[in-house]
Order: sequence, then C-alpha cells, then structure tokens
Amino acid sequence: MANSYDLIIIGGGPAGLSAAIYGGRAKLKTLVINKGTIGGLADTTREIVNYPGYIQVSGPDLMKDFKKHAEHFNVEFLKEEVVSVDFSQEEKIIRTKKGKELSAKAVILACGSEPRILNIPGEKTLRGSGVAYCATCDAEFFEGEDVVVVGSGDQAIEEGMYITKFARKVTVIVLHDEGVLDCNKVSAERAFNNEKMEFIWNSTIEAVLGEENVEGVKIKNLKTGGSSELTCQGVFFFVGMIPSTHFLKDSGLETDTRGYIPVNEGMETNLEGIYAVGDNRVKYLRQVVSAAGDGATAAVVAERYIEELNYFNSNIIQSDKKILLLFFNVLVNESLEFSTLLEGLISENGDEYKIFKVDMATKKSLAGKYQIEKVPAVVVLDKGEEVKRLDCSMDKEQLKSQLS
Amino acid sequence: MSLQQLNSTGFEEIIYDNCEPCLVIFSKKECHVCKEVVPMLEELKPQYDGKFGFYYVDVEEDKELFQRFSLKGVPQILFFNNGEYQGKLAGKVEEESVEEKIAEVLGV
Ligand SMILES: Cc1cc2nc3c(=O)[nH]c(=O)nc-3n(C[C@H](O)[C@H](O)[C@H](O)COP(=O)(O)OP(=O)(O)OC[C@H]3O[C@@H](n4cnc5c(N)ncnc54)[C@H](O)[C@@H]3O)c2cc1C
Repeated sequence: MANSYDLIIIGGGPAGLSAAIYGGRAKLKTLVINKGTIGGLADTTREIVNYPGYIQVSGPDLMKDFKKHAEHFNVEFLKEEVVSVDFSQEEKIIRTKKGKELSAKAVILACGSEPRILNIPGEKTLRGSGVAYCATCDAEFFEGEDVVVVGSGDQAIEEGMYITKFARKVTVIVLHDEGVLDCNKVSAERAFNNEKMEFIWNSTIEAVLGEENVEGVKIKNLKTGGSSELTCQGVFFFVGMIPSTHFLKDSGLETDTRGYIPVNEGMETNLEGIYAVGDNRVKYLRQVVSAAGDGATAAVVAERYIEELNYFNSNIIQSDKKILLLFFNVLVNESLEFSTLLEGLISENGDEYKIFKVDMATKKSLAGKYQIEKVPAVVVLDKGEEVKRLDCSMDKEQLKSQLS
Repeated sequence: MSLQQLNSTGFEEIIYDNCEPCLVIFSKKECHVCKEVVPMLEELKPQYDGKFGFYYVDVEEDKELFQRFSLKGVPQILFFNNGEYQGKLAGKVEEESVEEKIAEVLGV
C-alpha cells in the first residue's frame, strides 16, 4: 500500500529529523510529516553556538544539513498537519488535515512546542497589529518605537535585546523581585548593561490596549495589586511554551498535566510502538543536541520493535504448526507455574503445537488485540486465525484433553 | 513561488487601476509563520483563477508598501476590491478563514 510505512515521524524539527536519519539508515520505510518549515523551532533560531561540531551556525543552515542527511537515506517527507490518530491497533493510523490517511508499524512523536498564549484582552485582536511572538519576524516593524516584552526567560531576554537594534526602548515586564530574571546569567548581565532595556519588576500584563493598533499595555503590580498603563506600539510575548500534543488527546496516550509526554529510557510511551522525542516529552534539557539524541534512541528502539513485529507476523501467522499464544506476567505466580506446566506438556507430546510466550508487561498491543485481561491465558491460533482459547487448568490431564 | 510578486508600481496598477478583487500577502523570507501561510495560499490560488487575485509583497524589498498600511508584523493578508481596502488577516491564519474572507469580499 502506498500510504503504509514502517515508521512515521510526526514533526520535522531536530528530534524528528534525527530519528529519520536513523530510521532511513536502518532501511525502514520512513516518512516525516511536518506542517511548517522543516527544522521546527531550530529553523527560527538566528544563531546556534552550542551544537557540537558547529562553532557558530544559523538555525536554518543547520536544519538544512539535517534534512539533507535524512534524504540521503531515502526518507520521505510530507508537508501536512496531523489532526488525529488511532493508536489502538497494531497498525497505527494517522490522519492529516487535508484528509489523507496513512499507516505505520511504529510512530515517533516529535511535535515540539509552541508559544503559550495568555488569552488576555487585546492579545488576539491586535495580533499582527503590534502583538507579536517572533522577534526575527517582526522586530524591524518597530523601528524607533517603544516595545514591551513580557517574560524573563532566555528567549524573552535574548529576543528583547535583539529588538533593541530597532526599537527606541524595550521595557521588560518581570514577575519577580528587582534584579531576578529567569534567563541565564550571561544574558542577564548583558541585558542590565543595555541602555535601551528597562525593567518593571513584580508585575504582569493584564491587557493590551488599542483599537486598530497597539497603543499601550495595562500592567498589574503583584505586590501592591495596583494597575498602571504604559504607552507602547508593540508587545512581544515570551511567556513560555506548551507542547504541541493537543491532537493526541483522545488517543489513549499518557501526558502530564501540561501535555508533555512521559517516556522511559527507550523513549517508549505508555502505548506500544509509539515513541516521543524532543521538546514534546517530559525532560530536563530542551535543546537541539538533546532532541537529536532522543531521535536516535527512539528510532533504534522502534527498529527492534518492528523487527519483532515482523517476526511475529511471519513466524506465528504463517506457521505450519498451531500456535499457543501464552500470555503471562512475571508478577503473577500462577501464570508462571501454568507456563511451566504447558511447556512440559507440549515438549512431551509431539509436534502439533508451538508455544509463543507473550509478556503482558511489554507486549501490550498483543494483549489488546486478543483482549486478554487476566493471566494465564492461552489463545490457540491456526494459520494466524484464532480457533479457540484454553481453560488454563493446572490439572495436566484436563489441559491435555483440550489439546487433542 | 506561484504567487505573483508586486512592487509599488505593480501594486498601484493591480489594486487601484484595475480595481481587481484580490488579496496581497505581506511576507518576508526569514519568518517561519510566513513559510506556513504562503504555501497555503499557493494551494488555494487555482480555485479562484480568474475570480480573485493572489499577490505577494516582500516587505524587505518594498518597505514603503508596508509603511503605507502601517503594518506591524508579518505575515499579513490584505484584501482589496474596487480599489478599496477590505480588511486584513494577521499571523498564522487557517485556510478556512481566508476562504470566508474572500467570499465576504466578493459578496457571495
Ligand atoms: C528563540 C529560540 C532560541 C533557541 N536557541 C537554541 C540554541 O541556541 N541551541 C539549542 O540547542 N537550542 C535552542 N533552542 C531550542 C531548540 O530550538 C529546541 O529545543 C528544538 O528545536 C526542539 O526540537 P524538536 O524537534 O523537539 O521540536 P521543534 O523544533 O519544535 O519541531 C517540531 C516540528 O513539529 C511540527 N509539528 C507540530 N505539530 C504537528 C502536527 N500536528 N502535524 C505535523 N507537524 C507538526 C512543527 O511544525 C515543527 O516543525 C532555541 C529555541 C528558541 C525558541
């Protein structure tokens, strides 16, 4: 089928592209679906100085290299937005906004994050008329004007300083006490020494003012509770990011309260065959280098998973012998004892059956496929079709009679 | 780039002399949101062939044009009909909003 892949990666930022390089190299039929420009957030970064091997490189240039590398290993690309998924079956289904349906054996989620919207009055209506979220894009429109920056993290302070190249004055609204910024020390020092940068402490923004264009902001002092107005022509919001995982809401995928996806060391989510990498997962450091590392790990783990799946499909489904799918859980003693009994019985009694043991803890999709909830459980397959289920009796004769 | 790029002279002709119903996206190269919106317009364009014009202005090449409309950011899609400004859509707009706005401008 043209729309079916071994591996589909949702998101074409550094995490997704790295996974694609490893997937392509492993000769998996790999597709990257990305809605915007390839490179994600890194593509919007003017300058990257901490990616190993590049002393200084622009985000777009680095991402072009990532993409070229993936293409070199025959990775395919699709420029579309994924709007819904069905991860409940072994074959994972992905639907795009334009109505395309694709399927894959394994899916890597690398959707990154997007700017948080405060949803205060004026923020939405004045967007593009003075309200902005990207300094590279919009700073030059504020030549000689007064600009307010909301936030004090790395992005807020670094972007704020970039805006001073154009604006007359940049006023930063900071939640914390005087002198305390959330950004790194080097940037903080530079900002304090920048003559065009001013700070309003212990404050937050309540509303953006203006009819046609931004005319000012309403500022609330968190200490005194008082409000004041400040005249300005532009407001840049840098109030943090939220993971772009909303389209996964009803997929059964676990996320934390903020929408980040928790994974284990192998980037595995709570769903089998689904992995999460880069900025959209729960993690300590959100950078290009760590996104790349995640991507590599997930692709290798996914490759193993696909191999096992293929093994199952060719050896179990196409086996000459009848297969006994034996579901067990190491935590359930009864299932282990039953397993020993059944294995003994089969090795004594000939050739008709082959046992395939399924660990409930790791093979969740198989358990789901056969709707197994309790262990031990045995499904008898003939040429891949279920023919019956065994009553998992510990009585050897009783068990034997079911197999004849 | 399948959208025809306008400079100030072209802009005058199309908008004010020909009075064509059309949209003009004000965009620039180094802007990631523009890179999402422009291809969306390119895909939409053929559906409106002969009925509604789709044009492109690079704000870095034609500063004067965005100053004239006192724009504060890119991308922005401005709508015109009969030589009159009919409103704009700013930022990351969806295909549906553009279609709605075109219908409104054409009065259908
Ligand atoms: C201003 C700024 C400066 C930075 N500077 C540095 C730096 O100097 N060094 C550094 O290492 N890091 C830096 N970072 C951080 C770095 O950019 C990120 O950590 C990195 O880009 C994360 O990669 P990612 O692949 O996880 O996600 P992203 O880069 O966010 O990519 C995710 C991609 O997925 C796409 N997507 C999302 N949802 C969908 C969907 N439903 N369907 C299809 N596609 C979808 C998005 O469009 C995007 O292209 C900076 C970030 C910012 C904002």
